[in-house]
Amino acid sequence: MIYVDNITKEFKKTIKQPGLLGSFKSLFNPKTEKIKAVDGISFHVPKGEILGFIGPNGAGKSTVIKMLTGILTPSSGTCSIDGRIPQKDRKNYVREIGVVFGQRTQLWWDLPLTETYAVLKEIYEVEDSAYKRKMELLNEVLDLQDFIKSPVRTLSLGQRMRADIAASLLHSPKVLFLDEPTIGLDVVVKDNIRRAIAQINAEEKTTVILTTHDLSDIELLADRIVMIDKGRNVFDGTVGELKQNYGQMRELNFELQRAEDKALLDYGKHFGLGEDDLKVISDGVNVTVRFNSELVPVGDMLSYTLSQVHLSDISVKDADIEEIIRRLYKKEVRIDA
Amino acid sequence: MRRFFRTYLPFSRAGVQMMLAYRSDFLFHLIGEMLMCIVMYFVWFAVFESSNGSTFMGFSMTDMTVYLFISFVTSYLTYSDGAIALGEEIRDGSIVMRMIKPVSFDMTFLFQELGGRCIEVIIALVPMCVCVEAYKFCVTGSVMFNPVCFLLFLLSTVLAYLVSFYFNVCYGFTAFFLKNLWGSNVLKDAIISFLSGSRIPLAFMPPLLQGLLTFLPFASLSYIPVMIYMGMYDGMTIFKSMLLQAFWLLAFWALSKLIWRLAMKRLCVQGG
Ligand SMILES: Nc1ncnc2c1ncn2[C@@H]1O[C@H](COP(=O)(O)OP(=O)(O)OP(=O)(O)O)[C@@H](O)[C@H]1O
Ligand SMILES: [Mg+2]
Repeated sequence: MIYVDNITKEFKKTIKQPGLLGSFKSLFNPKTEKIKAVDGISFHVPKGEILGFIGPNGAGKSTVIKMLTGILTPSSGTCSIDGRIPQKDRKNYVREIGVVFGQRTQLWWDLPLTETYAVLKEIYEVEDSAYKRKMELLNEVLDLQDFIKSPVRTLSLGQRMRADIAASLLHSPKVLFLDEPTIGLDVVVKDNIRRAIAQINAEEKTTVILTTHDLSDIELLADRIVMIDKGRNVFDGTVGELKQNYGQMRELNFELQRAEDKALLDYGKHFGLGEDDLKVISDGVNVTVRFNSELVPVGDMLSYTLSQVHLSDISVKDADIEEIIRRLYKKEVRIDA
Repeated sequence: MRRFFRTYLPFSRAGVQMMLAYRSDFLFHLIGEMLMCIVMYFVWFAVFESSNGSTFMGFSMTDMTVYLFISFVTSYLTYSDGAIALGEEIRDGSIVMRMIKPVSFDMTFLFQELGGRCIEVIIALVPMCVCVEAYKFCVTGSVMFNPVCFLLFLLSTVLAYLVSFYFNVCYGFTAFFLKNLWGSNVLKDAIISFLSGSRIPLAFMPPLLQGLLTFLPFASLSYIPVMIYMGMYDGMTIFKSMLLQAFWLLAFWALSKLIWRLAMKRLCVQGG
């Protein structure tokens, strides 16, 4: 459905010279420097899949999304969506897609929400009956009722985001691009939005590309993850594969019978673990130990703990994706993929 | 064609609603311009008083009054601030929200602005024309309203508006390259209002300059419709002038498409 092949994007930044004379000079002889925002990214998304597209700030996620939606032209490489090239025949291409940029709105600032939807209905030539059905569905999942008559500028961020998502789905797009759709939202609204995305994906086989910094979005929604950094591919695979490959970090949680027993535990010294591979957090009788299970097997960790202190409760937690990704972003894990 | 209007008419409706949302801004603006016009009236009144003859370069005081007020509404109606909106959207990157919709930008801006213009025609143009005709009746004692001239005036005003619109779209598109609208719009507007003859009739200018300015696109913006309204042009001149307007419309339309195409190639949308 979506093929991205070795795509790059260079930005030319004009270096502004100071003063009026400077701007005049740079009008005719601009000094530029090139920035490679995207540097050879490839991936493929089959129909009906939800792809989590992640990477640290400035990795180039939004730039890729802009190229896929036809806003920017790649410097080199190609992308095609459902057999179409986004930059060619823009007007027909964008009929097939829905786009939400979390930091912007496609809604009409000064008008009631219903007006924006009415305009979108005409633009996309949505039939009356389909429109009605769609609005009912979106209303149900996203709870638009309470503010659908208010001017958009009076909406809260969460309301606006729900409204924006609804606007991008009105015409039943084949592909949905979401650039940080959960930015700055509370848990309930995040939940609403995730449900809407999951439901649309299930019912209409909509292919979704989603960028986010909230990894629960990824865990709850994404079938697959593509991670990029500095404009290059870093990881491409399922959440399970990510855990398998990089999930050496485990978490041991236990409750001490006596808080002063803490002094008896010195994991660092006993196992010879450095700061990157070990983290101990304690709060009264509760202790959390995060450790690299490749260096120290879970069994050893447990037996050492049990031999040193008396416990009233203990549990071992699997690698959580947040920890893996934190370490990937901080380059603590080598990438050989 | 029906499809076209179904797509873009909602933009006009939105334009009307937006204007109503900011009605006080709009009314104060209109009143401000109106006061300016009245000041100009007294300035010209003083000029005519002090000159010896009842006419000044072929204009009587009555002509001058009609000119002032009609020229005021015409340039008010044909003024297009698409450039500001477009330039601003390019600068802050919100233009992407238009790019992801299956619509032409120029049409969305055009229809949105036309919505507002319809209201202005009703609350500015119609009363102004009634007042001007009443004034002419009082001064000359006879009804001199010419419906044919008036219709041609309307047609020419529409052309003037479209020229103005595409001129401003071209101007706004330069923001793609400069990332900023150079200098102030105030300067641009001041130059245009001088060159277009909406402050001082082009007929008052030295012949050489007058010849040049009549041909330049600026005269198409308001001077031509005003002259038609006042019956200063004969049939042939009207025809030629409107042809000139159509020519400039086509020129700026083509130019805007060209700039757009170039811009798309090297567009950098700003902001994450
Ligand atoms: N219009 C532009 N001109 C110059 N450089 C740009 C432009 N847009 C983006 N960049 C640069 O390209 C790089 C990638 O930016 P991009 O917005 O794609 O990052 P991102 O992955 O979306 O980050 P975030 O998670 O913070 O949103 C950044 O270093 C940014 O400075
Ligand atoms: Mg981004």
